[in-house]
Amino acid sequence: MSPTAVAALFALLVLVVVIGFLVIGTYNAVVALRNRVAKAWANIDVALKQRYDELPNLVEAVRDVMAFEQDVLEEVTARRAAYSDRDPIPRQAATSEATSEAVRHLFAVVESYPEVKSAANVAALQAEIARLEEIIADRRELYNDQVFRHNTRIAQVPANLVAGLFGWTPQPFFAADDDERERPAVELREA
Amino acid sequence: MPTADPSLLGLCLAGVGVGLLLLWRGFGGYRAAARIGDTSTSRIATLAAGEVRISGVVERAEVTLVSPLQSRDCVWYRSRIRSGGRDEQELFAEERGIGFRIRDASGSIRVFPRGARIDAPDRFAERTGPLGDEPPGLALRGGSPFTTPAEDREAAIAALLTVRVPDPDPELSGLGGGSFEDSGRRYEEARLEEGDVITVVGTALPFGHLEDPSGADRLDRYGDPLAGLDDPEVAAEVAEARAAGTLLTPEEAWGNAAIPGFGIGRPVRAPELDEGVTAPVLATPEEAARIEQVFDLEPDLLVVAAAPDSPLLIATGTPGEAVAREEGRFLVGLLGAVLAIGSAVAGALLLATG
Repeated sequence: MSPTAVAALFALLVLVVVIGFLVIGTYNAVVALRNRVAKAWANIDVALKQRYDELPNLVEAVRDVMAFEQDVLEEVTARRAAYSDRDPIPRQAATSEATSEAVRHLFAVVESYPEVKSAANVAALQAEIARLEEIIADRRELYNDQVFRHNTRIAQVPANLVAGLFGWTPQPFFAADDDERERPAVELREA
Repeated sequence: MPTADPSLLGLCLAGVGVGLLLLWRGFGGYRAAARIGDTSTSRIATLAAGEVRISGVVERAEVTLVSPLQSRDCVWYRSRIRSGGRDEQELFAEERGIGFRIRDASGSIRVFPRGARIDAPDRFAERTGPLGDEPPGLALRGGSPFTTPAEDREAAIAALLTVRVPDPDPELSGLGGGSFEDSGRRYEEARLEEGDVITVVGTALPFGHLEDPSGADRLDRYGDPLAGLDDPEVAAEVAEARAAGTLLTPEEAWGNAAIPGFGIGRPVRAPELDEGVTAPVLATPEEAARIEQVFDLEPDLLVVAAAPDSPLLIATGTPGEAVAREEGRFLVGLLGAVLAIGSAVAGALLLATG
């Protein structure tokens, strides 16, 4: 084989290695991104379930003293009951937003009941739920950022060229879409 | 038959080699850029276990290091001294890291650096002058590479006002230049210091899940006997040996060195010494408490460390800066590919035309 043929073969080999690396690198990067999105979602799900478990304790702790605020308590209970981990992500986001709103309302009302606010168990539950609310907010931000990175990556060259082949589709953000926002999440029961 | 100039052919071969090396390093840059850039930054206060990216400033833990070339307090360094001239050789090389904390606006978390890949540009890169005169800023370390920072302001002032007779590090003695033969000697040092902004991509896990916290708290690229634990097979064998009870206890393996404070500061209990040797002064209760709390972390507390399937990556700067640096490395790698191909073609033409 002549030296020029060897050089041409070498050049071809280097090109194949570089292109192969880019293809494999892109595939692996998208797979890693999908896994990160799934993990970020699982982390939100854990916090949502924890809040779901904690809310009845808080409602029970304040129910007797706050007899005149049944609407607020019922609202929290009903929003909590609307949660289902089998719902599509936008609907879960809408439910979560509504629950957070109801919890904030409850916390504001508790402020006007000094005897409730000062009870140790109520204070502890309030602190725990406030902590969970903060975790949910942070993880929601993290999840949405991860989804943004994933959706951007699969829309860019070279991933968009093979996205159809591998079935890569954009992931939903954890945000209530307009339909979900307009839909009343739950019917409040009579107190 | 025409013959090619051997020196030109050698140059072409060197071009191919350098180009391929750059390409290989560029691939590493691409992977690192993808890993940093594709992971979102978590807030430390609400961190979840698993692979995470965090960004913040370095805070020292209980012990810091002293860098060999500039004697600066730091949590990691990589130092090199190379001789000048044509036959360049490495005279000294050391890379060492120690556990530290990283703080963001929400809180701080402990980082165990063993097995980390650290991307930090050199902070000191100088060479000796034409007569072998030492470069400005060179302050070779004297004494131990470990130090415990002063606890309060008064102690810090006292430390500053204390004159200490230099006790040169034997490994570094004679490497400061000083003669004509030393001219062109090169000094390079990269460091991570307290207050530096860094980005860390690693695994957040409960402290109790760390198999060997003492080992994980150290990074030593040269001769670290625990470095092999990064290998899953070695780690599995060690775990098996530990389960079978065939591993020595720290006391059996290291004797006095297993006593907290024996190597740094003062021992917390009386060590076993030969008769006639002056016994060291034991630590006061306050000092002992400080030494013992080195790993006084709750088992459930999250820390960041390397995991077998998720190596630890520490880079100076914000995530954007770290990604830009790694992408730059990839672009240089692509240029390396062009260099390799160009050199191969040039070599072939030389051979063909003589």
